[in-house]
Amino acid sequence: MISYDTVIGLEIHVALLTQSKFLCSCKASFGAPPNSQCCPICLGLPGALPLINEKAVEYATKAGIALNCQINHFSRFDRKNYFYPDLPKAYQITQDTFPLCTKGFLEYYVDDRLVKTEITRIHMEEEAGKLIHSGASIVDSEYSLVDYNRAGIPLIEIVTAPDIHHPQQARLFLEQLRLLLSYIGVSDTKMEEGSLRCDANISLKPSGSNVLGTKVEIKNLNSFRALERALEYEERRQSQVLNQGGIIRQESCTWDDRTGKTMPMRSKGDAPDYRIFPEPDLPPLHLDPVWVELIRATIPELPLERLKRFEAEYGLSRYEATFLVNYPDFGELFFALACQCRAYKAIVNLLMGDYARLAREKGHLDPQRLAELLTIVDEGQITQTQAKDVLEDLFSSHLSAREIVQEKGLEVMGDPESLRPILRQVLGANSELVHRFQNGDTKLLGFFVGQVMRVTQGKADPGVVNRLLRDELGK
Amino acid sequence: MIDRGEVIRMARLARLELSEAEIAQYQMDLTSFLISGEKLQKVDVSRVEGTSHAVPVTHELRKDEVGPSLPQDAVLLAGPKVQDGFFQVPRIVEAQE
Repeated sequence: MISYDTVIGLEIHVALLTQSKFLCSCKASFGAPPNSQCCPICLGLPGALPLINEKAVEYATKAGIALNCQINHFSRFDRKNYFYPDLPKAYQITQDTFPLCTKGFLEYYVDDRLVKTEITRIHMEEEAGKLIHSGASIVDSEYSLVDYNRAGIPLIEIVTAPDIHHPQQARLFLEQLRLLLSYIGVSDTKMEEGSLRCDANISLKPSGSNVLGTKVEIKNLNSFRALERALEYEERRQSQVLNQGGIIRQESCTWDDRTGKTMPMRSKGDAPDYRIFPEPDLPPLHLDPVWVELIRATIPELPLERLKRFEAEYGLSRYEATFLVNYPDFGELFFALACQCRAYKAIVNLLMGDYARLAREKGHLDPQRLAELLTIVDEGQITQTQAKDVLEDLFSSHLSAREIVQEKGLEVMGDPESLRPILRQVLGANSELVHRFQNGDTKLLGFFVGQVMRVTQGKADPGVVNRLLRDELGK
Repeated sequence: MIDRGEVIRMARLARLELSEAEIAQYQMDLTSFLISGEKLQKVDVSRVEGTSHAVPVTHELRKDEVGPSLPQDAVLLAGPKVQDGFFQVPRIVEAQE
């Protein structure tokens, strides 16, 4: 059996978060009654003239800068002609020959390795309408329903080079891309609502060969899991076909999440011949370099930079840093807390542990209230165990951490003079074990500490107890 | 001369039904376009700056502001068949054998 290398390239469509559509002033939001956000321009009625939305160009440029692309000061729109029911004008305005952005890359981690995937191009285009099929899928449908509210919403299409090597890497790339787009605020990136969609091209070639195999395009990948599963399926299928001496047909497939299989699509029409030509209704786009620099200045810290900063400046582990980067609300909270409390590990432990669970149910706490809790733990006024109780109360009451500690009488017993009698009582009741300890069974120290904690209902300062116990037992 | 098959293919792409007489007419018309194109290709443009557009208009951008749309019933008037506010269209993809 020959072994094969997998070659994957992705095309990602991203709906931009503008108020109005790309080429007309219809509202761009989801959820309105069908066909209620349409006008002569987005319906392509005769005589209508499109005008480009400045914000859409700004957002596309912003995405290009964040993906390390060359921003082309000259780009042009083209008309791609085809008949499909979701396309009201029978053509789509897109950028074919002169896209807005070219030659970029995205860096991301695969396991512990930082890898780079090349972005071939990013171009702007119009969204199509939405089809609702009468049957379970397009193939089983006698008819379909069309809503053109979505038609004309601004999209960017991000195209990668075919340099992704396995299905898991494709998923990690897409996750990182989505995170980056949400950081720069150009899209709500909701895959379930279709504002981020992914098509994948996959082919196999004999290991080490420079010649690419025949590719299959998989459409309809509406979740990270679907992307990875579809590519795994297709990788297996193609290697079986090739090993049995078969050939791969170049075709488009849809992914069926229920059956876990890709299905070849057979269109009723001709093989695609889009007869693309320069869009006569729109002038070319000349970007002012100063404007591009102004957009560059609005790019915030990006996920990978932030990850590196969490590791380098705050000494966090990759795992902790990844959590804070993937949940930017937690990342922001970390920064707010880190200004007031230098116990960074303690902050991240709190955020990733009980706090995350409670915040997901009840929403975030005011950073000030949380900072006070961290401070009194750091100062040793209460123990970690007690801190958990106080945290629960912070979510359910309006009291401050200090007020809760006072009300519950939780202050740590750190005074040696009040702890010493308790210690002696514990040791006296366990004279047999004390004997064993003094003969070298030093692991028993933990048992004694535990007993003291039990008697004091968790209020004793474990550090002080430890020191006092060694003191007493050393005698 | 553009051949008959080419005209029929272009007509099909544009969803046009042409009579035999029209096919013959388009063969001649389209061929004359190509002849004009051939003439233009012979012109020496080595010292002319390239252009992608006839009119030198650039950077006509619109502010991202929402304006009025057409009422739903006016939009739906354009379709031969509607259902619950949607356009209804016939089968898109043929069933699998």
